[in-house]
Amino acid sequence: MIEVTDLVKKYGTHRAVDGVSFTVGRGELFGLLGPNGAGKTTTIGVLSTLLKADGGQVRIGGHDVASSPAQVRRLIGVVPQEIALYTDLTARDNLMFWGRLHGLGGAALSRRVEELLVMADLADQAKRRVDAYSGGMMRRLNLVAGLIHEPEVLFLDEPTVGIDAQARSRILDLIAQLGRQGLTVIYTTHYLEEAEHLCDRIGVIDRGRLVALGDKESLISQIGDVDLIRLSLPEGERAAFAAECGAWPECAGVGERRGKVEIRTPDGGRLLPRIQDWLRAHDLPLEQLEIERPNLETLYLNLTGRGLRENGS
Amino acid sequence: MTRLWVFAARDLRRMANDRRALVINLALPLLLTSIMGLSFGGGIFGKKGISAIPVALVAGELPDALRDRLLAGLQESGFFAPVWADSAQADALVRSGDVAAAIVLPDDALKGFFQSDSLSVAVWKDPSSEVKAGIVEEIVRRGVLRVQAGEAAYRALWPDDYRISTGDSAAVADLFAGGLDEIWRNLRDPDAVDSRKRATEFLARAMDHQVALSRALSEPQVGLTIADRIPVAAEDGRESSLFDYFLPSFAVFFLMFAVAGGARDLHRERTRRTLQRQLLGPGSAWPVVVGKWAASVVQGVVMLSVLLLAGALLFRVNLGPDPWTLPVVVVLTCTAASGFFMLLALLVRREKVLDNLSTAVILVSGMLGGNFMPVDNMPEWMAAVGRFFFNYWANLSFARVIGDNGSLTAVGTPLTVLATASAVLLVAIVVLFRLRVRRGGWA
Ligand SMILES: Nc1ncnc2c1ncn2[C@@H]1O[C@H](COP(=O)(O)OP(=O)(O)O)[C@@H](O)[C@H]1O
Ligand SMILES: [Mg+2]
Repeated sequence: MIEVTDLVKKYGTHRAVDGVSFTVGRGELFGLLGPNGAGKTTTIGVLSTLLKADGGQVRIGGHDVASSPAQVRRLIGVVPQEIALYTDLTARDNLMFWGRLHGLGGAALSRRVEELLVMADLADQAKRRVDAYSGGMMRRLNLVAGLIHEPEVLFLDEPTVGIDAQARSRILDLIAQLGRQGLTVIYTTHYLEEAEHLCDRIGVIDRGRLVALGDKESLISQIGDVDLIRLSLPEGERAAFAAECGAWPECAGVGERRGKVEIRTPDGGRLLPRIQDWLRAHDLPLEQLEIERPNLETLYLNLTGRGLRENGS
Repeated sequence: MTRLWVFAARDLRRMANDRRALVINLALPLLLTSIMGLSFGGGIFGKKGISAIPVALVAGELPDALRDRLLAGLQESGFFAPVWADSAQADALVRSGDVAAAIVLPDDALKGFFQSDSLSVAVWKDPSSEVKAGIVEEIVRRGVLRVQAGEAAYRALWPDDYRISTGDSAAVADLFAGGLDEIWRNLRDPDAVDSRKRATEFLARAMDHQVALSRALSEPQVGLTIADRIPVAAEDGRESSLFDYFLPSFAVFFLMFAVAGGARDLHRERTRRTLQRQLLGPGSAWPVVVGKWAASVVQGVVMLSVLLLAGALLFRVNLGPDPWTLPVVVVLTCTAASGFFMLLALLVRREKVLDNLSTAVILVSGMLGGNFMPVDNMPEWMAAVGRFFFNYWANLSFARVIGDNGSLTAVGTPLTVLATASAVLLVAIVVLFRLRVRRGGWA
């Protein structure tokens, strides 16, 4: 349904999206996961025909985004990261307007608007102005507004930012429901657990590059079945340790991050005694040592060197 | 067209929802205008319905006592502020706009009255002061009609009196020929006993019936002619009511704020992303911006219309000589204003900058374009600079239509300028907007 090939988008000299490629199948729920500034919104911008790519190709439903934007627009619905609504109008007036924008009218429009109000659970609040709504209600209306013309593909750009956990789970339920109905969805977020919970496949994006792609299991297997050990060492000792450790057969890789040595290993249990021996030999205390089982968070750390939480929530 | 209306209707609905804007765009100008109107006097809030209308009174040979009595009578009516003038003075006064009209009795009014010749009263009025001159005309006309009606009734009832009075009028005329001194002499002349007797009989009868009336119905003796006295020249310092000028110019000033607000909404929509959402709809992009422009035009037309109608109702502001000239001026003023501020919004990238720039532009163009000073009183350099602001042409049009009661032909030039500017601005808006959209600058 969606094919993105070597997509590049520059702002001046800054490459906001830098050679991204992925495909999304019909009816698939695809997650684009990355911290703030990773290039998610920019990617959605190009996919939704609003931004012109500086390189690469995007095809949606067989239509090239650059050369036949009108055909693409007919297929897609976009839910922007911002509350793109007229807060000085009621929910119903908003939906009526967005419907008319897409050429709907008459009874068909009224029916569709009522449907969406029910879907967003706003039917009894439809006559209130949007600026009287809570954050969660605005988000739900923002979401269904993107569905007014019954698109086949839906782009959701961080639809849960800035709302509480309860409101968030209502939105996630709504999206899951849309997914079950066969809608193709690209869902961007910087919340790892959302992508993990919701999406069939996930692309991890950082600094404009797609650093990992696949379903949850295959992503984890990309770094193998490895544990991650973090060890605090005085600065002068780290290089020496890394050199020695790298030579051990149990070690799959060693590096330094934020004042700690990080060791990847298929079997943390067998490596631990060796580390203890080394520390004793160098007359160093075992100050701090963590072992982490593989999950998306470690994957993400491995790939980008940044925690998702650092920038996001 | 329907697509355009979708966008315009949405904005109009939002404007109607915006109480603050309603207050600022309608109530505030109305309030200021009212304060201004009251300080210029009159209006329905004044003690009298209308302030006394300046009139010149011309009655060549009336005896002083009679003149004084007439003057006092007119003053007491409360409608008039009369001054005596000879016919040349009256003519000048009307042409200079210092009086709304002149009521002119012929030189031989008194003589004619007693001779039962026809008496013709004339009203000279300033056509640009239609309302006030109209009132004078109406009052005099009613007076004359009343006399004419009485005349007709009298003649029908006492046809004999008519015959007698024609026969005796010569004696009366002889008796009352000349000024008061002469009348005095005639009345004492022993040679004129006979004619005096006849005259007395005649006068007695005439006074019995209060008015001396004669001649046939088809030839009324008291006639009225109304003659326009067109101002000599526009720049002759002829000054219509300041209020007539400042009501529209204040309205235009507030209009600029209103349409600047509408244009700024384009930026709001961009930052709130509703603009981008609209660009995702089918069809071309230009109706998005033209729809906004159209809504802004409608808003402006409603605003100006309400203010002008309120001015007409409350302060009797003139609405022009016909029902179409003023609306044309209003519409073209709004298309130009909306176009100008929409273009400004498209040229500036940030809302904050636009805000400050709009305010500065409004104040400067308000100053140079004649919103605070009648365009006719501007120093030459200012008028020269003012020509580059649309509001100069709007104010000029309003001054000609409201102030001078000019019709479409009187505002041909300013309206052509406004129409051309509107068209050019609209094209510029569409081109610029499409450029912005294509470059992705608005996404
Ligand atoms: N209009 C713009 N002009 C210049 N740089 C931009 C613009 N929009 C985004 N960027 C930059 O592009 C990068 C990606 O931004 P964005 O796509 O918004 O990231 P995300 O949605 O993942 O948070 C960021 O470094 C951001 O600063
Ligand atoms: Mg974003």
